[in-house]
Amino acid sequence: MYKEVLKAQWLAARLPVVLLAVLAFALPLLTVTYGGSLADAPVERVGQWLLAAQQVGVLIPGLALLTGLLLGIAAWAPDHAGKHVYALSLPVPRSMFVLLRFAAGATLLAVPVVALGVGALVATLSVSLPDGVHAYPIQLTVRFAMASIVCFAIFFAISIATRRAALVTLGVIGGILLADLVVGALNIRDAASVTASVFYLLTTWPGPLSILMGRWALFDV
Amino acid sequence: MYRAVLALIALTVSVGAPSAAAQGAPGRSSVRALAARADSLEALVARQDSAAKRTRYDELRAQRFDAGDVTVLIPAVVGEGTGRRIAAGAEAYLDSMGGIPPAFVRSVVSIAYATAGSDSVLRAGGLGGRRRLMVDVPARPDTFADGWAVAIVIARAYTESLNEEWRAWLPADLGIGWKHGREDAAAVRDLAAGETRVGTECLGGRPAACRLWLGLDREPDAYVARYTPAEIRRIVALRPLVEYLGPTAARCIEGSDEECLRFARGGQLPAVPAGFSALRSMLREIRVLHGAEALRRALSDTAGALGQRLAGAAGISEDSLVVEWRAWLLTGGGHPPVSAGAREAMPVLLFGGLLLLAAARSGRWR
Repeated sequence: MYKEVLKAQWLAARLPVVLLAVLAFALPLLTVTYGGSLADAPVERVGQWLLAAQQVGVLIPGLALLTGLLLGIAAWAPDHAGKHVYALSLPVPRSMFVLLRFAAGATLLAVPVVALGVGALVATLSVSLPDGVHAYPIQLTVRFAMASIVCFAIFFAISIATRRAALVTLGVIGGILLADLVVGALNIRDAASVTASVFYLLTTWPGPLSILMGRWALFDV
Repeated sequence: MYRAVLALIALTVSVGAPSAAAQGAPGRSSVRALAARADSLEALVARQDSAAKRTRYDELRAQRFDAGDVTVLIPAVVGEGTGRRIAAGAEAYLDSMGGIPPAFVRSVVSIAYATAGSDSVLRAGGLGGRRRLMVDVPARPDTFADGWAVAIVIARAYTESLNEEWRAWLPADLGIGWKHGREDAAAVRDLAAGETRVGTECLGGRPAACRLWLGLDREPDAYVARYTPAEIRRIVALRPLVEYLGPTAARCIEGSDEECLRFARGGQLPAVPAGFSALRSMLREIRVLHGAEALRRALSDTAGALGQRLAGAAGISEDSLVVEWRAWLLTGGGHPPVSAGAREAMPVLLFGGLLLLAAARSGRWR
């Protein structure tokens, strides 16, 4: 059963998966090519490299977000297109089908993750680093995998959510923004921004999106 | 004068008015009426002016806020909540850095610019004898509101109170508000920039080079010990508008080593090759690994070279200190920059599981 679901999901999402894999492979290599080759670079240039690695690193959580978004939506695209008739005709409980879809999506997620890992490894092997500077290909790949899974889970759940759930989610987001607008309009002194507080909670450990924050540089101290 | 102008305006308006024009030139009685109206307007303007001044003064009237040893005077218009936050924030910043004796913090009072009536507030509070430090509202008002600007002013005042050697070496802010991940990266970039041989060798792990790069030893000629003429030449050549730096710089660029050293000794080049980020990182390292008391001891010490003072306060040798600092700096304060362990995995698994559960329990086919 899993194989069939995976196959169906692959057929629906192969183009984004391949594109994401190419991007994921290329991104760590950009760290190496950003300002020349590290292999023969004198130590004087290490500072530039660290800066370049940080700048490229900023793009990696963005790629994780894109990966989660595209694969999360693609996981349910065939069902939405077929008005869920195929799923209803299957002799499995709904929860099992959701689990299968999630597992298949997570399997496809492994393609860009592995591509990023290979890219990071190639980039690492192509340079010689001076004392005090290290490469983090494994940590970067694992972190990218975790960030992609979080983003995938979010968009996977949103894609299959009921209209009511979608409305509630939108209502909560709208409410937060409205609260901020009201606070701003009333010019209440010392009032904290609701949006900023929510963002802080979400993006600071143990917030679910904290994985997208922090440092993502392949080469760092 | 004011009255005359008002009368003139009133006269002009009346002359220009169609009704007045129809009646011809104004008579003596109407001029008197206009003058009386101008009088009343003048009184009204004076009253309003006085009320506005009173309101303005009330807004700027000094309000005192205390947090620990920190005392600040801030205009009332800033608000009580913000005032308390500024004082508490300044105390937290000073506390997080350490190094400044509490007695010094108690001997000063920070006053925001434009605060009115601070004398009476200080006298009433028995603080008339305190040294007053003026705090400007910086370009980023949030740094004022969180107390950073106040803490920096106190730190600068303390730095200025130290002996000449410390004043020349210390970053004026003492590293207050140090941010991991940003400032330590800047310090590493500074070290890795490789402008000097001693910096490159320090990055490579030679303690003596680190001491030279950080300017911790007393040198008879700091420029000779810490720079080579070729390095000075390269630094000078990369300066903007180099052609306007004078004949010494020109001769240095042309190849005269002696002129390069003369140019540097003329105050045109910092005696310490390390930038402020690196110097801040040294202070921060001592604070983190050896405590605020060690930093305080070091800063109050006036005997020996700076490296001896810092190492003595930390209770280790100078070489051990720079080795420790280098390792601390290059590992981002002991934390790997890119982390992906159990700590990061926990919220991911928890949140992913919750979303999967939510997706399994509700859906469009129910």
